Amino acid sequence: MFQSIVSYGLAVGAVYALIGITYNVMYSASRVFSFTAGMLGMLGGVLGALFIHKWGMNAVLGFVLVLGCGALMGLVTEILTVRPVLKSIEQHLYVLSTLAFALMIQQVTAIEWGTEAQPFPVLIPIETGTVSAWLDQKFLLPLLACAVTIAGLEYLYRRTLIGRAFLAIAEDSYAARALGLPETRLRLASYAIAGIIGTLAGFTGAQMLLAYFGNQAILSFYGFVPVALGGMGSNRGAVIGGLALGLFQQAANFLVGGIFAAVAVFAVFIVVLLIRPEGLAGAATARRV
Amino acid sequence: MSLRRRQVLAGSAATATALAAAGSFPAPAIAQSDPIKIGYLPALTGPSSSTGVGINRGTQLAVEEINKAGGIKGRKLELISRDTQSDPTKAVNAVAELTQRAKASIIWGPLNSGEALAATPLIARDKVPMLHPCWVDELIDVKKYPMAFRMAPTNTQVGKGANHYVVNVLKLKKVAVISDTTGYGTASVNTYVPMLKAMGAEVVYSNHVDAANPDLKPELLRMQNAGAQTIMPWSVNAGFLSRILNTRGAMNWDVPVVGQTTLGSGQTKALLDKPENWNKVYSNNFRNCCYVGGKLPERAAAFVERLKKEKIEFSDTLLWWVALGWDGAQMIADTFKAAGTKAEDVVAHMNKVKSWPGIYGTVTWTPQEHNGFPDQEVVMCEVNSLRDGAFNLAPGYSS
Amino acid sequence: MTDTAAPISQPKAPAGWLGRLEGSAWWIVLGLAGLLLPLLEDSYIGVIAQRAYIYWVLSAGLNLVVGYAGQIAIGWVSMLTLGAYTTAALAAGRVGPEWHPFLALAAGGVMGAVAGVVVGLPALRLRTFYFAMTTLGFSTIVTQVALAWKDVTGGGVGTPGPVFPWPFDPGWGFYYFCFFLAALATWMTANIGASRYGRALVAIRDAEVAAEASGVSKARLLILVFMLAGALGGVAGGLFASLQSYITPDAFTFEMSVLFFIAILIGGRGSILGPALATIILTALPEFAAPLVQWSTFLYATLLLVIVLVIPGGIADLLDFRNRRPLEKHREIVTRPELLARVLDRHSEKNTLSMTGIELHFGGVRAIDGLDLEVRSGEVHGLIGPNGSGKTTALNVLSGYYKPHAGEARLNGAVLPFLEAHTRADRRIARTFQTPRIVGGASVLDNVMIGGTIFGQATFSETLLSLPRHRRDEAHLREAALLALATVGLEQLAAVRADRLQHSELRFMEIARALMLRPAFLMLDEPAAGLSAEEIRRLGALIVAISRSGTGVLLIEHHADLIFDICDRVTVLNLGKKLAAGTPAEIRSHREVVSAYLGA
Repeated sequence: MFQSIVSYGLAVGAVYALIGITYNVMYSASRVFSFTAGMLGMLGGVLGALFIHKWGMNAVLGFVLVLGCGALMGLVTEILTVRPVLKSIEQHLYVLSTLAFALMIQQVTAIEWGTEAQPFPVLIPIETGTVSAWLDQKFLLPLLACAVTIAGLEYLYRRTLIGRAFLAIAEDSYAARALGLPETRLRLASYAIAGIIGTLAGFTGAQMLLAYFGNQAILSFYGFVPVALGGMGSNRGAVIGGLALGLFQQAANFLVGGIFAAVAVFAVFIVVLLIRPEGLAGAATARRV
Repeated sequence: MSLRRRQVLAGSAATATALAAAGSFPAPAIAQSDPIKIGYLPALTGPSSSTGVGINRGTQLAVEEINKAGGIKGRKLELISRDTQSDPTKAVNAVAELTQRAKASIIWGPLNSGEALAATPLIARDKVPMLHPCWVDELIDVKKYPMAFRMAPTNTQVGKGANHYVVNVLKLKKVAVISDTTGYGTASVNTYVPMLKAMGAEVVYSNHVDAANPDLKPELLRMQNAGAQTIMPWSVNAGFLSRILNTRGAMNWDVPVVGQTTLGSGQTKALLDKPENWNKVYSNNFRNCCYVGGKLPERAAAFVERLKKEKIEFSDTLLWWVALGWDGAQMIADTFKAAGTKAEDVVAHMNKVKSWPGIYGTVTWTPQEHNGFPDQEVVMCEVNSLRDGAFNLAPGYSS
Repeated sequence: MTDTAAPISQPKAPAGWLGRLEGSAWWIVLGLAGLLLPLLEDSYIGVIAQRAYIYWVLSAGLNLVVGYAGQIAIGWVSMLTLGAYTTAALAAGRVGPEWHPFLALAAGGVMGAVAGVVVGLPALRLRTFYFAMTTLGFSTIVTQVALAWKDVTGGGVGTPGPVFPWPFDPGWGFYYFCFFLAALATWMTANIGASRYGRALVAIRDAEVAAEASGVSKARLLILVFMLAGALGGVAGGLFASLQSYITPDAFTFEMSVLFFIAILIGGRGSILGPALATIILTALPEFAAPLVQWSTFLYATLLLVIVLVIPGGIADLLDFRNRRPLEKHREIVTRPELLARVLDRHSEKNTLSMTGIELHFGGVRAIDGLDLEVRSGEVHGLIGPNGSGKTTALNVLSGYYKPHAGEARLNGAVLPFLEAHTRADRRIARTFQTPRIVGGASVLDNVMIGGTIFGQATFSETLLSLPRHRRDEAHLREAALLALATVGLEQLAAVRADRLQHSELRFMEIARALMLRPAFLMLDEPAAGLSAEEIRRLGALIVAISRSGTGVLLIEHHADLIFDICDRVTVLNLGKKLAAGTPAEIRSHREVVSAYLGA
């Protein structure tokens, strides 16, 4: 019982955390919250099942291809839905453009892929039941992906020149431009990275969540909760928030069950935001005038 | 005979033309060669449309066959179909179109509960006869909807069939009942739990769970701790059902699973971790469409032969869906043949239908009872015996 | 006096109450079509029309939230759900005795109003995207509760909708009932939309800081609008339950919510006609393009993307022929300071606006480091200094946008609260912005009228019903705004969309907006930037005239000539500290100032 709450909770939480990081990476580069984060997660599962299960592709090749599609989606998101409305960011048109794009992709998936959940292949060919449930790849893969992502981002941001440029843009894009940093190219790159992280989340979580178009809405919301709790732009906040959310959700599922688990998560979300709009670990609001 | 009829037709046509030419009202539409319109409300796209697609194959085939054989006294049947996409608002719009604009003589469908519940009072208000493939109990009420009849079992009958199998055939007393949070799921649990208790079973666990919930292990552990001897899931969500079966398999918990027909669908099968997880799973089915000793009952066997000749695909559908669709159209055709198309005559005829030999079910209606499906034809089947869209009757029934 | 009473040319404006709805011809056509539709005797079309009316009742309210106030409420279908279940459950006697259907419908509206406020509350504190997520989450929760609360909602099996008695019984009776309510919703939201409340909403959307500076209390206004939009959503829900005849939770889909939301944006933000047309089109389209049904959500989403990227103004923009006429190329701004006597109150008393010991830092940067400043009635006080010396920051502290880490601001000795920018207007402290903060889609006149928001007397409900006090308010505001525009020389452009103006004209428009407040103090942030030499001269004369009528002026400027010409006193800032203060003559000869800043 306890083992189930912890293993599933952490695994689902890792997927939420990765989607939260996807939100964050896009936000840092452009001050834009994009509805496409959940879409990327959904595509990770659906494309993975399509390539590996339906088309019989090699798992590694399929995995790389899925991430490639994610990066491509990220680029399209930036070019199509973010760049044109960045000029008037205070009008928040990006909410509409990214929502529209995410809905389009979701609808195409629903029609072409179907509205039923479909199976996702077992990636590492080990007989389930031969290893302890703690070591089930269903749970381990999302956690591993989360750890790798965090480590990778830390390395990128702290140790590489290009990563520092990302940070500079996130801190103050105006000043960064003045310094001659190629803001547009860096933003494009950030969206591609976000695309990869989002599909990685969906891909590694799909043995649990299945290849299902409806995952988009679920991941959009539950992936955003860690961002709201951990403070926008903070990846560590997202990871802690995501894992906590996963555990909380599983515990609520177990303790109160069914419908009330969803209500409980929503209630926590609202209460935290009303008390601390900047998130539990967030900083004070920036300049407005 | 044929000569005389042609003369009559020519005569009436001439009168009509004359009237129209005289500038008065257009001819009343009683010209006897007009097609008879059947309003048809399937859900062919959108979520949970696979059943609708299956039923549609049967209905289309039946109408085609009837028309090829000359129609109803020389009149063709015309299916006016509107895809409702399982959306109640689209169903309400479609009803207005079919009953008021197209002046359909009868309505066949809709299939999903939300659409059927919304459509039925509207069709009753417009005084158009209606035939239901849908299981929701509330749809049949001879006082409120005197023109509505049902070809299929009610949810109560379906639950009763499953409960009967658990309590009287498998002789299990401790039962866990679980559903998803959809309308269908919650309604089922709420109806079936009291029925189980009335039969003397002990419901040790009952809950509604969000179908999107990836982990059902806590639920199953709770069932196990409560001492459940069987799981009865009520959901049309293949993902949800497969998670129950997979979790049961992973826990090496060897209790039978008895419940909704989707347990035996191809989508559920595709989502299983291993094929053995489909063992000891019994889903609802209907006696006329089940193998007994490896063979289908006579009517169904002949039907399958005919379908194979028409090259109707069975890989992604179930025999009883197609049979239900076929029966519906056939029942409508038989009624029109016997009673004409006037609404009162149609209802009067249907009120007296007795032991109508369908492929899906043997239908009997009376003026007091418009639920036509017999209790004893609701049975359980072994889901892992799927072959050509049909299953083996579950063990334990006396045939 | 004859001079100041000179006639002000009135821009042509449509008259009468219909005129307030843009494109009155369209409304007459729509109204007649609706009234005469039953003559077709086609109940199918009747049902589609009823659905469109019902959706519009909800969307009319939502339009104020989304189209006017710019709040991204994606999940407003929850109001429809709540209203439908409340009406249905009460009318069917699931809670206590059976209610009369009309009472039950009213209760649905009340439920919607309450829920509107509950959902709206987070919008007051949360950023846009957060609010979008909140409404989305709320609509999920409402559906879940509808499923779980079986006694009241019937759970998954649902509950029958109410049937309204004669003369509104199902069929054409109910049709006219829906038509009437849709017309009523249109009329009421149009009243709000064309009032100071509507202008303030749009200002919150496009120029929030300017709205606050004009005395708009965002929180209070949004709560009222959420209440109205919720109530209309609830009433629409009751009607929806009756039209559907039977409601189950699966009738309230996210797709429906998207339809409401997208219809408004396709119609055009800040318009009422556009969203109404779009709602009708999106409701009817899938019926007549059956093969497209499956793809309808995809098409809506595509439309939304195209609208956002290509025509942000939506249908309303396409129908706005008036604003496509070319403007005169070589326009000249001829100010008329002589009108100021009618624009401003004569302040005979001496007021002082001061701040002392102000310190403010952003992170490690000391933006202001112990600043004292005093502005007096009847004086022009110049504030100069190099870029980044803290001039604008000082102004923002004074007008209440920032809370300093130390120090205080006072008006006539009374302490001014910080972080309550909207309270400055009540104290008659007006300002302009370094980058003009304007509502581009609204007319110049509407933009200026925003400045007079605090003088409105009519309550929200009086405005809703267009009662006499509201009409008086509007007439007064309009008159005052035209006068203010004439003063700054823009009256010919009153009816033009503000985003078609040149930059210099926008600066004068902001001054006109600030004048609407009849300010005791006026703070101008680089008003001469981007102006021609002649325009700067006229601006200078205007500022002097404003100060001579008793208003204290704080002027931030880079044009040294202007500062030294018109200022009575000058303060020089450098690195957040006061470098020097005194008369223009003293400053001009101040050695440090000359070397550090004037560069001579």
